[in-house]
Amino acid sequence: MMKGPESKSERGFRWALPSLSILLLILLMQLPYRISFLDNLLPFLPMAAVYYWGILKPNLVPVSAVFVLGLLQDILSGGPLGMMALLLILVRLFVIQQGRRFLEREFLFSWLVFVIVSLVFGLVTWAISSIYIREAQYILDALGQSMLTIAIFPVIVWGLGLFRRMLVAEKR
Amino acid sequence: MKELKHRFSSGFFIVLALALLIFGSNNTSLVNAARGQVTDFFVPILSVASRPLQAVDDFIGWTQQVAIVFSENKRLLAENAQLKQARITSSQLAIDNQRLKRLLNVGEGQVNIIAAARVVSDSDSPFFKSVLINRGTDDGVLKGQAVINEDGIVGRIINAGSSSSRVLLATDINSHIPIKLASSGINMILEGDNSPYPKLGFLPLGEEISVGDLILTSGYGMVFPPDLPVGQVLEITEEGIKIKLSTKLYNLNYVSIVGYEIIRSPVSRPVSRMGDHSPKGKK
Repeated sequence: MMKGPESKSERGFRWALPSLSILLLILLMQLPYRISFLDNLLPFLPMAAVYYWGILKPNLVPVSAVFVLGLLQDILSGGPLGMMALLLILVRLFVIQQGRRFLEREFLFSWLVFVIVSLVFGLVTWAISSIYIREAQYILDALGQSMLTIAIFPVIVWGLGLFRRMLVAEKR
Repeated sequence: MKELKHRFSSGFFIVLALALLIFGSNNTSLVNAARGQVTDFFVPILSVASRPLQAVDDFIGWTQQVAIVFSENKRLLAENAQLKQARITSSQLAIDNQRLKRLLNVGEGQVNIIAAARVVSDSDSPFFKSVLINRGTDDGVLKGQAVINEDGIVGRIINAGSSSSRVLLATDINSHIPIKLASSGINMILEGDNSPYPKLGFLPLGEEISVGDLILTSGYGMVFPPDLPVGQVLEITEEGIKIKLSTKLYNLNYVSIVGYEIIRSPVSRPVSRMGDHSPKGKK
């Protein structure tokens, strides 16, 4: 009981960590890298983070936070307002519906499921963008983004693992 | 019960996102104002975060320059000699040109450089080509103004917050820029298609165009001043004519926002003054 306020403040910080990690990845995606063709191939970093936290700590990334972060990405990237917000919520919903305990157990299995999630994500991004622009876009661009996201998924998991360890440390 | 609540809140936000997606594009003034507010807040953060990248880029550029410094110097010396010759010719032509313009009372366009800005953010999508810059309405930047850099055209402002703006690049599918062929002066439109090489639209039938032809802005549409470098014809295929832009849009650093207006003298000048443009000091 004595620890009440302190643990509360710890909890406050804890709550913010996963969302903060997604925010950092969103900002990372916006930076000007000055490398030709890279802006066509940027991996869907925030999506991978939502997938990761959806499996491990879904209560720490509530749907409202995912919505706000998705909207922020839409605004900063200049894309259709609501597209990323919608897609990130769907990714979170998918992970929770498909039994996250199952995904949590085996890294390789969660990576395999991520392959499908990432490819579908790329396809839907392409579809919504094409409808928004009213002209079919080059589909391989979106799939290239998906492929790169799949390829660097272990790196993203490692990076977010650092955040997760901070969570655990806070808990003690 | 918790499950039900979760489903409800997910459903609510999905509907909200869909509504934004469908109606967000129509209600542009409100949406743009909100976008401007958000980018105003994040541009300083992105500006600081992009500094290390800039430093890396500068370092790479520096090492490249060091590597070629001797051969580059030799080339520049030769080029300098050529340019000195060209300067003499061009100053003669400028005087000629001015005289003829006065004769015809051609309205002179006035180009104002409104602000210089740094590109702090690049779009992360292959389908939407735009960048954020760190100048906004507080610096006089307005929607619709042209953005250029030292190499040529960059794009135009599509949304201006108080201290940040979004620039639609010339490669974006929504970008249409009036241009002309430098050699013959044929007016055309440069149409972005989200590829690095925008295409040429509205080439009149029977006109000839070949690879390597120089493209300049035409000044029509009153957004871009005329005669700014746009690029060169890269390839001509059945699908269209592709242009290689003179500006490297993936490697933007500093850009200028320019306003352009035509100022026409209200009364035509008397013909007797046409040859009179001797330096003021001589009068």
